[in-house]
Parts: sequence; structure tokens; C-alpha cells
Amino acid sequence: MALLQRPFFVLLLVLTHQFMQYWIAFGSVNEEGQKQEEEFNEELLLKPLPDRKVLAHFHFQSSAPPSTSNGRHHHIFPKAISQLVQKFRVKEMELSFTQGRWNYESWGGFDPIPSSNAKPPGVELWAVFDVPQHQIDASWQNLTHTLSGLFCASINFLESTTTYSAPEWSFPPASGNLRYGTLPREAVCTENLTPWLKLLPCRDKAGIAVLLDRPSIYRGFYHSQRLHLTSTGSGSEGMVSGIILEQTLTVVLQPNSQRAGMAYASERHIQPSWSLTSIFGKQVSGTCVLAKSSNVYLLLDRGLVAELEHLHKENEKSAENGFTSQNFWTKPSFELSADPDRIFIEENSLHSKGSSVLYKFQVEKYSESEPFDLSLTWKIPVVWLSQQAPLHASRFLMGSGNERGAIAISLKSTQLSEGFMGANADDERCDLQVNVFQVVPWYVKVYFHSLQVFVNQQPKAISDIIEKIHVSPSKDKVSPGVMEMVLKLPCKVNSAALTIEFDKGFLHIDEYPPDANQGFDIPSAIISFPNFHASMIFLKDDSVNKSPLLSKFQEKSPVMSYTEALLVPLTTPDFSMPYNVITITCTVFALYFGSLLNVLRRRVAEEERFLKEKAAKKTGRLSLLLSKLSAKLRGAWNEGSLRVS
Amino acid sequence: MAEISEAHDSDSSKSTDNASEAPTQPESEPEFNPKLMRKTKPGLKRLFLTFSVLFSFLLGLQFLWKSVEIYRSPLPFREIDSLSTQLGSDHLIFPLHFHALFVGFDSDPDRLRLSILSEITKLTSQNPKCSHNYTLSVTVDSGSHCLHSPTTSPHSCSYQCGSITAIDFDQNDDVAIDERLVPVFGGKTNEYSVVVVKGESERAVVGKNRRAWVVVGSGREVEIAVVKVAEVLVKVFVNGGREEGSIRNEFMPVGADGRIVLSFNLLNADPRDWVYDWDFRKIDNNLLAPMIEALGPVANISVESQVLYHTPKASFSYWDQQLQSYVFSTKDLPFFVNSNEWHLDTSIAAGGRSKILQFVVYVPSAKECPLLLQLPNGEISNTNGFISPMWGGVIVWNPQGCLKDDNKPTARRTIPMQDLENMFEVFTGQFRQLFGFKSVNIYAGASGVWNLLPSERGFTEWELDVLSRQHTCFNLHSCASTLGSLSRLVQSLPRMIIMDEIGKQVKFSLEAAKLAQSNASNGVYESSAASSRQARSLAEDAFFHPSIMSVSYYSFEHCFAVYSPFFLPVSMHVVLAALSERRRYRKEKSKYLAWKAKANAAS
Repeated sequence: MALLQRPFFVLLLVLTHQFMQYWIAFGSVNEEGQKQEEEFNEELLLKPLPDRKVLAHFHFQSSAPPSTSNGRHHHIFPKAISQLVQKFRVKEMELSFTQGRWNYESWGGFDPIPSSNAKPPGVELWAVFDVPQHQIDASWQNLTHTLSGLFCASINFLESTTTYSAPEWSFPPASGNLRYGTLPREAVCTENLTPWLKLLPCRDKAGIAVLLDRPSIYRGFYHSQRLHLTSTGSGSEGMVSGIILEQTLTVVLQPNSQRAGMAYASERHIQPSWSLTSIFGKQVSGTCVLAKSSNVYLLLDRGLVAELEHLHKENEKSAENGFTSQNFWTKPSFELSADPDRIFIEENSLHSKGSSVLYKFQVEKYSESEPFDLSLTWKIPVVWLSQQAPLHASRFLMGSGNERGAIAISLKSTQLSEGFMGANADDERCDLQVNVFQVVPWYVKVYFHSLQVFVNQQPKAISDIIEKIHVSPSKDKVSPGVMEMVLKLPCKVNSAALTIEFDKGFLHIDEYPPDANQGFDIPSAIISFPNFHASMIFLKDDSVNKSPLLSKFQEKSPVMSYTEALLVPLTTPDFSMPYNVITITCTVFALYFGSLLNVLRRRVAEEERFLKEKAAKKTGRLSLLLSKLSAKLRGAWNEGSLRVS
Repeated sequence: MAEISEAHDSDSSKSTDNASEAPTQPESEPEFNPKLMRKTKPGLKRLFLTFSVLFSFLLGLQFLWKSVEIYRSPLPFREIDSLSTQLGSDHLIFPLHFHALFVGFDSDPDRLRLSILSEITKLTSQNPKCSHNYTLSVTVDSGSHCLHSPTTSPHSCSYQCGSITAIDFDQNDDVAIDERLVPVFGGKTNEYSVVVVKGESERAVVGKNRRAWVVVGSGREVEIAVVKVAEVLVKVFVNGGREEGSIRNEFMPVGADGRIVLSFNLLNADPRDWVYDWDFRKIDNNLLAPMIEALGPVANISVESQVLYHTPKASFSYWDQQLQSYVFSTKDLPFFVNSNEWHLDTSIAAGGRSKILQFVVYVPSAKECPLLLQLPNGEISNTNGFISPMWGGVIVWNPQGCLKDDNKPTARRTIPMQDLENMFEVFTGQFRQLFGFKSVNIYAGASGVWNLLPSERGFTEWELDVLSRQHTCFNLHSCASTLGSLSRLVQSLPRMIIMDEIGKQVKFSLEAAKLAQSNASNGVYESSAASSRQARSLAEDAFFHPSIMSVSYYSFEHCFAVYSPFFLPVSMHVVLAALSERRRYRKEKSKYLAWKAKANAAS
């Protein structure tokens, strides 16, 4: 494009199009109608969080049906992604850019959102390929380079075999053709967001994506931009498989509190009232015209709904006994600026706590003259807790010094989950299954025999707790160490811990990254609970099935959480040291060599004669003294070197 | 060491036990001066020792030098130079065979041939890079018999005497005449033929194949015919009917790997007004496929398409009351393409060095519809499009009536097939322009107007010949210049690692270039274009090989910093010791010789 601005730019107007009047002869072959068309949906989910923050989850989904021309001709679906899928035969792929850490304790860990959208800091990429086993690594390496160019990020560092691994079964979309790699230190910024937005048909020019005001979203506490693509099976012979591209952006923001005459003391407990303008500084002035559906949802999670119901009951105890959920939701303890188009209430089958409520707003009804600016104003103070994963996982380093240490993963029971664990508690053997997947770089040399398990602070035999373990030890400078485990913990467990010892390796001088003194990152471990599914089931309805976000919520995906990334300080050399060492050793060698040569050439008798002659001459006291001294020194030196030789 | 060399003036003593050249006290000789003479031969032990150390040191240096040497695959520098000198000194000559057939004339063919040849030399402008070597044969068919000149031409024998008459040219259907001419000159010959007939309606037509015909009226028909024949041969068949200086001939929009990606983009400036879509697959299959097939020998072409939204143009247009439309003038055209918003993108499917030509259909938004492009002379462009050489072309397409459907603005509409066909005619014209051809089917020469029959494949056979020749020429020159730069680079950087692969690529590139040269001189255009393309892409591969970058990581300074702390002091010791031993030995020897001379004189 830069060509266009050059001064030698030559332009020629095509003068006429008389050319080739009968050039075109159209075949009237009516191709088999492609009934399915490329689609695009945009959705936004807003959710108040217990610690006075607001979660905004943008969900854009583009899909291309199976067709012969995928990768060549596209109408809505991004051509680049389709070509990438065709070229590298990607079956499924997920790429995420994250900044900040998802706070599992206060923002929850059981919903579909944290399970599938909370990601480790930095870049995480995994991909499943549809190629023979021996070509997977080559495909992965080419894919990393392409993505790196596509998203302006250093994903190409995942090319090296030391940075990626092939999990066997513990990573949820488990398959033999999977490759997984992370770059914990990758900084995420707007230069990664712009190419991501370019994949949307309307970019951030229209529709819900207008809200993505860069200063607001990068000011947030957590920011995760994700791209997930699945290629669906090809429809028939010769067809190229269809692709579903799911782009999500999850941000946790602190709304500017709009207090209106609230007492200062109680302000800390009161949920801030917010609106789209106060969070993003922008409002939605219409849909992206290419979107099939364009909706905004407001989600109240189970804990909040239970709390509200409780408050409501207390208030109206005297007046009304039999209240139905219907009239409860029309008189809630908060106020919405817009009337929801629909209210979904979760089908509550498993959890006694309560059921989430979802308000749906259709953006189609709003226009530029009447923009959509949802605001939520609390009338009463509410305090609630988000639903947690069964165990809260954290990981830390033990030991000190630059030689060895230990990694510990600690799992603590979250009291909140007792409710649904209690259902199984009556059984004689009630087990809580936990999958652990951990990758350690090769320079952290883990001793797998030193694995220890503690349950309720008591050491346990490994065979009692670990049901299945798969270890692929690291190879120096070739591959990282991978540890996959299935733990069976008793249901009533309070805490469990795994420790494993390691030695810190030495790197070659040119393997150190810039700023080596900062330390080396160990990527986050993944803790998943295959028996618990993070799904929200809403009443079966057409509109639920039509919305990709809600159908995503209904999917049964295991509860997953990421631990912290660890920072291991390694011994870093003084980088000028090799030259110093070379210089000093060489000098010593040169001294030795030179004196040896001198000794070999020495003529002892001649020197003695010379000295005698000098003595006989008695030239003077001073010179005599000097010559004596020098002779002594020389003698001593020569004796010494003779001894050495 | 100073004290040792001083030792020669020491007082002589009896101690000879150190088995060296210590001078012994002469008792019997009264003239013996111990400072200047000695009686024993100076010993060689220490001298030998120090020199052996020095020699082993020097020997070791060679091994060290060998060990720090970097690998450089030998490149055929001489052959590279010879290739560029060969191409520079006009060795790439394409042979062309012309055949002029005069039907219904009874002139002397030899005289006609000479006059055509003189006209041809007048018209030929020397292309500095590639020249042509032509042969001309003239046949005069007077109805009853044929006269050939030269009489034994190997190329004119395909013509059967009397197989065409002037009546064949009376009809006005040029396409039929063109087809009629195909069997006359034999189906597959590479010669270019011009038929001259007398007739009522004067016209000059160039066919789709390598044939042209002129119908001349009565009068000075032969002279006119000769000029016309010479012009069509040189200007149309050889030069492709292009004007001098329109686009530089070297501009070939073909990537270094011989591939072109045609990326078609439909841009909806503002989808809130209307959204247009197209059925591109149909276009691809029906219209583009034949053209791509025809261009096969020149380039490997692939087609992609996408629809983009929210892509306003970068500059403003103004409302023209008279035309009832918005007008965009030529001088603003460089600002039409909006590189910020038009994310046309390069293709992932294409390789790294493919050429991507962007073709853009711009659908203006409602507030600038209809949008027209204005020529510098104030007229409105018929095609509403423009090209940018080496980048691609743009067409502005205005929706019918510019009517906004207020009820359903978001409904996606399809561009009518008729409009799409017109658009692709323009695109074909633009594509031809990017290759340097004219988009009109008329060639206006000095001697008159030639009507060029268009091919349904976009490019006629003689145009493809022109392209192949030009492509071969361009590729070979670019290959030679790339290899020349590579050899200069390699020779100027002695610390650069050159992998075997680079050497191999250079070798293969040279071989392909040789093959292309020999094919070109034999007149096999297609295969010479293919092998010249290969030569160029291999040369580019060699030049852009990633291992060439490794030069910067192992510098001579590094080598010096690592080895000098040891070798500098040690070599100082060794060399100084050797020098002082040598000096001493000479001195002692001269002393010995002095004594000997004295002793001889005494005896």
C-alpha cells in the first residue's frame, strides 16, 4: 500500500470498456445452492462481581460452512483464518493473550466464564492438527510463525522444541495430535488487539465492538483476548471443512462509582452503580449490520441471586407469603435503565444454592438517535460470594539459593462447594478427581521420585492418592518436562499438597534471555476437575440455541483453573566473565610458557663467570648492591620455575 | 636475556662442564683476545631448541587458523560473471519468422521482400536488453501460380498455393476469416503471417492467432500494403502493440517465485447504507479460469476473494450539479486507496515472494453516491476505474439509482450478474494494462488503424508470445543481476558462512538460465519462459537464504578477543628468544672464525 503514496505513482484511467464485447460467455450452470451461509454473531455479557468490579465478556463468532471455496472466496469470514486452517490442517486451535491474573477467590471459579476464559498471563497457544504424526511438529512450527505475523506478537518463540509440549490426556481436548505452549512473559497491548479486531467484519466501527475503547479496557484488572477455532467435519467428498471462529475478550473493570447521597461508612459494602458509559466511556449506537444476532446480556450469578432472594423474602415476609420468581424479578432490588427483552432463569437441577438469572437486551432496537446505554443502579447494599471450584489451587516455590528448590501445588477446599459435595458424601468411598498438568522448562530439573503428597497436612503414600501419572522427563536443550497426574482425593479433604524437588540447571552463555537476572518463568499448571462441569442450563428455547454464547454456556466442559506462573531465579553469570576467564588463563599460560623457554635457554656457568668478573671489578657499592640483588632475584625466580618444570 | 648476550665479554674460566660454547682460556696463544675470539665452535643446542619452538608455534598457527575458518561453499563466480556479460552483450536473441502473402498481386516477390525489409529496419527500435532476429519470406499468389522469395525458405512451404482468394475476405465477419486462415497456414506454426488482398472495403485486422490481413483498395495498393505489413509485423507482433513509454517494459507483475495471486476485494464503504455481495465463485469458474490457463506459461496464478466492510476512501469528492453526481478528480487518485481502513492483507496461502495484485470494487456509501471518476480533460471515465502499476486496479461501482432501502437497510443484496460481467471486462482490461498491453482493441499506427480481434481468454496467442519473450528476457536479466549481487556480496564479506544449499541453488539457477537461453534462441518460448522463471526464483532463493544472516554472529573481533590474550605474549617470548639466540650464535661464530683465521695465520 505504501506504493500508492510514492511520487512516481502512475495512474492510468481505463478509458473505455469496449474491449471484448463478446468476451464473456456465461455458462448457465446452476451450481448446487449453498444454502448455508457464512454467519457472524456478536454478544456481550456483563456481570457484577462481588468485589465491586464488573466483568465484561465480548463474544464474537464467525462461522464458515463446509464449502469447496473455503480459503479462497469469503464474504464475512476472515480469509486469513480460513487460509491458515487450510494450510496447516488445523482441527482445533486456541490462542489467548492475557494480562493480569484471574482472581479465582473473588471472581469465582465454577462458571463457564472462568473455566474457559480465565487464562494464564502472557500467551497461551494450543492446536490440534489433522496431519500424520511425524508432520505435527513441522506444522506447529509453521503455525507459530504465521500467527506471530498475524497478531504482531512473538509467538514464533514457541517454535523451539524446548517451549512446547505434547500432553497425552490431562489437557481437556486431549488428543495425540495436540501441541501446547505458553509464553508467560509476553506483554499484551493494543497492537495485538488491532489485528484481532481486523478479523471481525465490522472491526470496531459498528456494533458491540464499538465499546472496545483502548484506554478503558487496558486500564482493567484483567484482560484476556482469545481466539478459538474449530474446523467442523467436511460435509461431503471434495468439500473443505467448515470453520467456527470464536473470538472472546474478557475484561474485569472497576466502574467509576456513581454515588448519590450514600453514607461514606457504608460505601465500602455497597455495590457501585454503573453504566456502559461509565465503564467504557462509550455506548452502543446500533448493531453491526452483518451480525445475525447482536445481544447484550446481564448475568446475575447464583450467589447474588440467592442473596437477593433472601433479602426480598425478609422485606416482604409480612406482606406476602407465596411469591413466585416471576413477580420477584419484576420488582428487584436494583434498577435497570432499559427493559430486558427476555429473562432466562437457570434450570436448577444440581445446585441448591440458587439459579443464575440472565437478562437479554437486543441491540437491534436501538439506533444512533437512541443509543443503548445499559445502567444498573443498586437500591440496597448486597454482599455475596461467587461460586468456587471445589478446590482452590495455588502454586509456590520452596527452598532458597541458586542450587535447588521445590515446587509445591497446594489445593485448598473451598467451603462453598460443600453443598454439592455433600450429595455424594453418604457414599462409602467418595472421591474427588483432580487432573494436574504441569510443564517445566528443561533448566528446572525436576526429580520425579521426590514427589510427595500431603492430604490434610498428613503425608500419604503416592499410590493411595495418585491414580494415574504420566511423566515425560525433560531433555537438556531439547524438550521440557511434562507431568500429568490424576489425583483421587477423598471428598472431605480440607487441603492437599504436592511437592516436587528440582535442581537448577546451568545454561550456556548464549541461551540466557535479555535481562536474565529477572528470573525464569515456569508456566502455569492446569488443575481441572473432570467430574464437575461448568455449565448453565437454561430452559430449552429457540433463542437459547440461536445464541452462540448461551449454547457455549450449556456445553458441559470440565471446571478448570490455572495456577500462578512461577519465577525461578537461576544463577546468572557475569556476562563479561568468559572474556575475563580467557584473559586470565591465557596470561598465566603465557607466563609459564615464556619462563619455561627462558629456563631452557639459560647458561648458568656463563652467568656465574659474569658475576665473578663483576665482583672482581668492584665498580662501586651501589652498583654492586644492585647487581647482587638482581642476581638473587633472578636466582630465586629461576629456581622457582625450575621446580615448577 | 640482555645479561646472557652480555656474557661474551665475561672473564673466561675453566668450567666447560655446561657443555656449551663457553670460550676456553687460550694459554698457548698470546694474541688470543677472549673478547673477540673463541676456540671452540659455538653450540647449536639452544639455537635449535628455540627455533624448533618457533617453528612448531608457526605450524600450530596454521592449524588454529584452519580451526576457526568458516565454511564457505565454493560459488561459481566466473560463470556468474560470464552469464551477466553474455546477457549484457546482447546474446539473447529471439528468432522470429515473418511471412507476407500477397493474394491477387503479380509483383516481383523479391522486390516486395526488400521493400518490406527496409520498412522493418526503419521501424525497429533497438531494445537495449533483448533483440530479435527475424527472417522474412514473401509469397505472391497471383491466382494461377505462386512466387516465393526467398525461393527455398523453410517456413513458407506450409502455404498451399491458391488456398485463399480475395472472395474469402469480402464478408464482414472477421472472426470467421480468422478461423478460415488457421488451416491455410498450418495449425501450429510459430511464424507470423500477414495476408494482403485487394478488395472493396479497406480494413486491417489482426487475428487471435498469429495472423493478420489487410484489404487494400485500388490505387497505390502495393506501397501502402508494404508499409502496413512492416508496421503490423514490428509494432504489433513483435512489440505487442504497446506505445513507447506507457509502462516500462521491465515491469512484469510476477513474483520472484513465478506466482501471481489475484486478490479480488469488494469494499462496502458503509454497510449501514447498503450491503452488497457477489457470487464470485461463478466469476472465477467462468471468466477467470480461461485467462489463468492461457497465462500458464508466464505465471502460476491463483485467485482469492473477500468482502470487506466499513472501508471509506481516504479523500473527498465534490458534488457536481450538472452531472448530478459526486466527482473525484484524477489528481486526487493517489489518495483514493485508504491504506488504514482497507485491510486487503497479503495472502497466507501464497508463498513469501509471490506477487499479489489487488483488484478492488468500491461500493460508495449513500452520501457519496453516485461517485464518478473524472479524467484530466474533464470527461467522466467510462470504466470508472483506474490502475496502479504493480499494485492492482480499482473500480467504483455505483448501486442502481443509489436508492437506500429504508425498510430493510441491512438486507444483503447481490450485485447483478450483468454489472459483474461488465466489471470483470474492465478488470481484464486492467490486468492487461498491468502487463503493459492496451485495454482497447484498436491499434492506431502511423499507417492507419488496425482492428485487433480480442480473444475470449483475455490474451491472444501473439500477445502471449510477446509476454513470454518479455518474461524470459526480464527473468534472465533479473536472475543475472541477483546472482551478480550475491557474488559481489560474498566476495566482499570474507567472514560470511555460505551453506552448501546456497551453492547448489546458484548452480541450478545457472543451469536453468543456460537452458532458457538455448530455448530462447531456438524459438521455444513457453519452455524458455518456464526455465527462466525457475532460474530467477532459484537465484532469489539463494540470495534470501536465511543462513546468509549468520555473518553477524561470528565476527573477526570476537576471534581476536578470544585468542590474543594467549598468543600475543607467547609469540612475543618465542620470537624474541629466537632472535636473541640467532644473534648470539652469529656473534660467537664470528669470534670462532676470527680465532680460526688467526690460528691459521699463526701456523
